[in-house]
Amino acid sequence: MAAKDSPLKQFEIDPISNIEFGGYNISFTNSSFAMMITVLVITLFLTLTVNTRSIIPSRMQLISELMYNFIAQLLSDTVGDNGKRYFPFVFSLFMFVLIGNMVGMIPYQFTFTSHIIVTFALAAVVFIGVTILGFINHGIKFFTFFYIPGVPFYMHPLLIPIEVISYLSRPISLSVRLFANMLAGHTLLKVFAGFVVSMPFFTGVFPLAFIVALTGLEILIAFLQAYVFAILTCLYINDAYHLH
Amino acid sequence: MPQLNPEFFVSQLFWLAVFFTFLFVFLWRVSLPRIDTVLEKRQNKIDDNLSSAKELQEQAMEIEKKINNQINKAKLETDEKIKETINTLQKDVSSQLSSLDKDLEKKVSDAEKEILKSKDDQMKNINNEIANITKLTVGKITDIELSDNELNKVIVTNKGSFN
Repeated sequence: MAAKDSPLKQFEIDPISNIEFGGYNISFTNSSFAMMITVLVITLFLTLTVNTRSIIPSRMQLISELMYNFIAQLLSDTVGDNGKRYFPFVFSLFMFVLIGNMVGMIPYQFTFTSHIIVTFALAAVVFIGVTILGFINHGIKFFTFFYIPGVPFYMHPLLIPIEVISYLSRPISLSVRLFANMLAGHTLLKVFAGFVVSMPFFTGVFPLAFIVALTGLEILIAFLQAYVFAILTCLYINDAYHLH
Repeated sequence: MPQLNPEFFVSQLFWLAVFFTFLFVFLWRVSLPRIDTVLEKRQNKIDDNLSSAKELQEQAMEIEKKINNQINKAKLETDEKIKETINTLQKDVSSQLSSLDKDLEKKVSDAEKEILKSKDDQMKNINNEIANITKLTVGKITDIELSDNELNKVIVTNKGSFN
């Protein structure tokens, strides 16, 4: 298959304007553009819909409030009262991933969450932040996080390395989960879109119908992955407060 | 796979940092406090309404109590008034009855007296008539003029035989 027809072509980054700073290529690309659109959509929506600050909300204001309450509830369920301080961060993370995924569902739009470097950066921020938080809260005792109480002593040489590895693999699992879901979904859509064109006569209707159904599924996954990203962040924050 | 091409890694990270930081700061400082104030305002309003509703309910209950008290009071008062009126009416009736009785008795006794008087008068008249008739008859038959005194004497002495 020629490179221009590849289902992976949609993930290619095209610079819109070439910028170089201190020897680094920081070009404004289609990915950056999608991020900008995402941030604009979020900030404008959340600002304009709540502009009137009416006690009886309009439909749009209600959407903003529902999102707010959704994440606030999630955070208070998993972390408790300590979680309120991290609400702006978790909310930003959730909205950024959610709207990023949704913007990616618009045809011909770039999906920045399908890039491992982006998701890994987000996951790394969470991982580093949570680890620092754990050390702030518990000091050196934070290392007891890897020690599981109530287990026979001879199991510890085996369990402690497992715990350490699982802890260190958190950012990888968090980022790869989102990246792989987005990559697979969009690739599948593109593959079936290729079938629509290449199949003879009217049989192309079938892959087209499949694309329509798959688009619905992808929108669900877009939401689900944002939710998973947010809830895992909450759980990690909770771990930084409560060691076992 | 374009994702693994490190050519744009720095660019991606740079713009991600720029936009995500902007988003975070904006939401933290502008959007979320706004939604927060709206929700707080609503909660306050709901609390206010609930407390005022409670107050109103209490007031309503107090008013109901007052109304019930007044109804009870009014009932007692009316009962008393009804009793009083019945009593006064009974007194009136009995006093009027007694005064009627007295009147009637008086009238009866007056009538009796009158009857007696008229009876006496009649008797006197009868005596006079008898005297006159006797005088006339005696005069016609015997040409003797009887004086009234003599006649009366005769009549009184023979009174029992007239009846």
